[in-house]
Amino acid sequence: MENVDALMHGFGIAVTVPHLALMVVGVLLGILVGVLPGLGAPNGVSLLLPLTFGMQPVSAIILLSSMYWGALFGGSVTSILFNIPGEPSSVATTFDGYPMARDGRPTTALATAFGSAAFGALVGVVLITFLAAWVAKAALAFGPPEFFAVYFLAFASFVGMGGYPPIKTLVSLSIGFAIAAIGIDTVSGAVRLTMGVDELVKGVNFIVAVMGLFGIGELLIATEESFQLKSVSSRVDWREVVRTIATLPRHGVAMLRSAAIGCWMGITPGGPTAASFMSYAIAKRLSRRSQAFGRGEPEGIVAPETADHAAGTSALLPMLSLGIPGSATAAVMMGGLMIWGLNPGPMLFIEQKDFVWGLIASMYVGNIVAVVLVLATVPVFAALMRVPFYLIAPLILIICTVGAYSVSNSYLDVLLMLGFGVVGYLFKKLSYPLAPLVLATVIGDKAEDAFRQSMLMSKGSLGIFVSNGLVGSLMAAGLILLLLPLLLQLRRLRAPKPSFDQEPSP
Amino acid sequence: MRLATGIAILALGATLGSIATPALAEWHPTKPIEFVATAGPGGGTDNLARTIQSIITKHKLTDQPVIVVNKGGGSGAEGYTYGKALAGDPYKVIFGTSNAWQQPMVSKVAFKHTDLTPIAALAQDEFLLWVKQDAPYKTVTDYLKAVAAKPGDFKMGGAQSKDTDEVLTRLIEKTANVKFTYIPFKSGAEAAVQLAGGHIDSHVNNPSESLGQWRGGTQRPLCAFTSERLPKGPLITATEGWHDVPTCVESGLNIPRFQQPRTVWLPGKVTPDQVAFYVAMMKKAQATPEWKEYIERTSQTETFLAGPDFEKFMTEDIERVHKIAAEQGWLVN
Amino acid sequence: MISRRVLEIATAVLTGTFGATVAISSLDNGIGWSTAGVEAGAFPFLVGLIILLGSLYNLVRSRLDPPQVSITRADMRALLALFLPAAAFVAAIPLLGMYVATAAYMLGVLAVRPAVSRLKALVYAGVTPLLLYLVFEWAFQVSLPHGVLGEILGF
Repeated sequence: MENVDALMHGFGIAVTVPHLALMVVGVLLGILVGVLPGLGAPNGVSLLLPLTFGMQPVSAIILLSSMYWGALFGGSVTSILFNIPGEPSSVATTFDGYPMARDGRPTTALATAFGSAAFGALVGVVLITFLAAWVAKAALAFGPPEFFAVYFLAFASFVGMGGYPPIKTLVSLSIGFAIAAIGIDTVSGAVRLTMGVDELVKGVNFIVAVMGLFGIGELLIATEESFQLKSVSSRVDWREVVRTIATLPRHGVAMLRSAAIGCWMGITPGGPTAASFMSYAIAKRLSRRSQAFGRGEPEGIVAPETADHAAGTSALLPMLSLGIPGSATAAVMMGGLMIWGLNPGPMLFIEQKDFVWGLIASMYVGNIVAVVLVLATVPVFAALMRVPFYLIAPLILIICTVGAYSVSNSYLDVLLMLGFGVVGYLFKKLSYPLAPLVLATVIGDKAEDAFRQSMLMSKGSLGIFVSNGLVGSLMAAGLILLLLPLLLQLRRLRAPKPSFDQEPSP
Repeated sequence: MRLATGIAILALGATLGSIATPALAEWHPTKPIEFVATAGPGGGTDNLARTIQSIITKHKLTDQPVIVVNKGGGSGAEGYTYGKALAGDPYKVIFGTSNAWQQPMVSKVAFKHTDLTPIAALAQDEFLLWVKQDAPYKTVTDYLKAVAAKPGDFKMGGAQSKDTDEVLTRLIEKTANVKFTYIPFKSGAEAAVQLAGGHIDSHVNNPSESLGQWRGGTQRPLCAFTSERLPKGPLITATEGWHDVPTCVESGLNIPRFQQPRTVWLPGKVTPDQVAFYVAMMKKAQATPEWKEYIERTSQTETFLAGPDFEKFMTEDIERVHKIAAEQGWLVN
Repeated sequence: MISRRVLEIATAVLTGTFGATVAISSLDNGIGWSTAGVEAGAFPFLVGLIILLGSLYNLVRSRLDPPQVSITRADMRALLALFLPAAAFVAAIPLLGMYVATAAYMLGVLAVRPAVSRLKALVYAGVTPLLLYLVFEWAFQVSLPHGVLGEILGF
């Protein structure tokens, strides 16, 4: 097979002592920026970019992509330990990761997350290795109506999940949409919903909302639940890490399914965030232990993490083959590619074989390096859980403040973050679900853009959403996912009505 | 903005600008300088800011560190509004395009370009008309004939709404007496992919935005909106380079020139010697081999407009865009 | 003491006000169809309306809640003990800058703890801003606010 030969050639380029050293440096730096909210892979990449100008392009991209892997892994750490997602795509990890960590099992939670993340990433790389040409072609089939259908499918799978008062879910979802609409509208160029605050023209950044809703909100809830952590074993326990990894194959079906969802959403414009939410929702519906989701169920960590990394990895493919960056980090890397004299686009795979296959090979090796390093640090991170509340509370607050500020050097963001904190507290207390709000904040405006672009194309006819097989089947799948729970509920209504107010799942 | 007030303010700005050019009491930065890119990471504006940053650092054009921050929210409005709020602060240098004066015309943003102090225009990005590789049109006249036959059926994609891409689209419509449906996307790169997938019929991307796609044989340029052909350079496809693309005028579409300047600003209310310092710094940056390399790589046209020249350029551009915006009913003030 | 009913009502009023504001300010953007397609305000208007109606429903439904206590007096005290210093910290940032405000905040919340010795509190108050400076300002070139104080000191 041609691709296997090319890949072996790539390994020859990637696996050299200097390149392995670069990977270790990149991964460690990535973990650092990933763990610290407010700093992310884009910071690290733009910091390193000037250093790479003197390097061979392939060395440079190995350094930068290793940092990307490190940051992806690091982003889950604060989600699990403190309920503060550092990246949009690790929000879904908080749903079960944080309860598990609070239950005294931070090591297990972290190891589960990292193990399944590595699996997801590997599936993503395998996909890139063997189906690159096909994937690039498949991605071209997506125009605005198809984009909208993919977003619709993501919303439908998540919203129909249930477990919360339906009207509260609707309010929460709609608030997310409204937040996403703040700022300048792509389709008309008009300024929307700034409500007299000029600075809001930039929109409300997702990180600001999430750090308030989850980080600060949880902190406020924790004060009154007399934050009693179950005693975490004080010994640094490496065996627990190994044991956890060894039990992961038990979730094999969920992992494969989540990886498939992740790759699919990574290639289509859904992206890692939608992938992780969708995968979580589907895992919850299909799992036999559905009731345990939201209370520290391992599968609730496996599903979003696998999908997130599978999507994050396969999202690099459109960047290389089409020149559309799937994320801010990918955008900075793409800027780098151009500075190194490479043009991302359809010809890259043909003209720059060494570069492309060196990069792909480094994805295998880099992910292995990353997961080894990150697993080695698990006990260290888990030890953070032993810091007493009176000390960790102000530290979390300071970190969220700095994080919100550094998103765009804006004090307004800090105030917003604090405001979101109060909202997060109220919502959690009154069982309004936060997840639909977050999902709508992240992809709501994209879905709206796609819808309106489609309307422009069709001159106002909704028929465009059934105009070909692809978009039609996506829409049909979305409708089924959305309506199925309603139908089931209608049937259940004849039975005694279940109480809504005591379901702590997301 | 009313045209009269605009011109009055511009005239005022021009006088200030002309005072600024001669060497007054020298000013030097004593704190780190922040470059504000009014675009997200990876875009053209961000690339320019980072290129200048690396040139300044490499050639030690100042002994203070230079930091790049991205404020691309609201199609750049975030960065300009930030600059407006920091009037008098000579440590914030704002990098943008012509949307500094175009955006306030067409949307209710909280800044006007007169809230900022112009430093220079450093480069002009060129525009081309692109169609899908396998489209049946050989020349721009072929294409426009087809468009004229079915008004509104052809889809022109572009970056953002009521920005340069749409202005140019409307200009084409007027000149050739045709009607497109304009579909705004987030960026030119996105429009290029949509064209490759056949979801739109054409777009007016800059050379650098569609270079890879042209090489890859998914789309090709019909004509360039330049007064003469683009400079000779290496071949892009097996047989063609930028110089082989006819100008739009020579192939029958009478739009002699359409460019997007890359602009640099300071916040308002800075002193003339501070302006002079940055004008000189940008000038020095342009004299380096790294800059030449950047211009070639991105297929832009080098230019250096500062002081009254820059003001004159702005006044002309405002007049032209204002006319189109008024015809389209885009004006907000 | 705050009952669940009061909390529900307060939240519904909060979300309802937000919904109404969103719907009303969308009217400026146009909520119909124009030559440029679906107008910019249409979608936010709809969303605002849904929030408003949903909030009204939640408001009415809150009357069905039993008047059980949701936040006890002790809860409230713990809540305010965390929130008020935090708000003061955030309010102090424009004046003192991030570093000095961080130090003051750490010192303030730790000094009132009998379990923490003065020396320890001082060390934490000193080390936290130093780490922030090293990671953000120095290593990653992210400038944190220096505040009015910083300006006076020329930092």
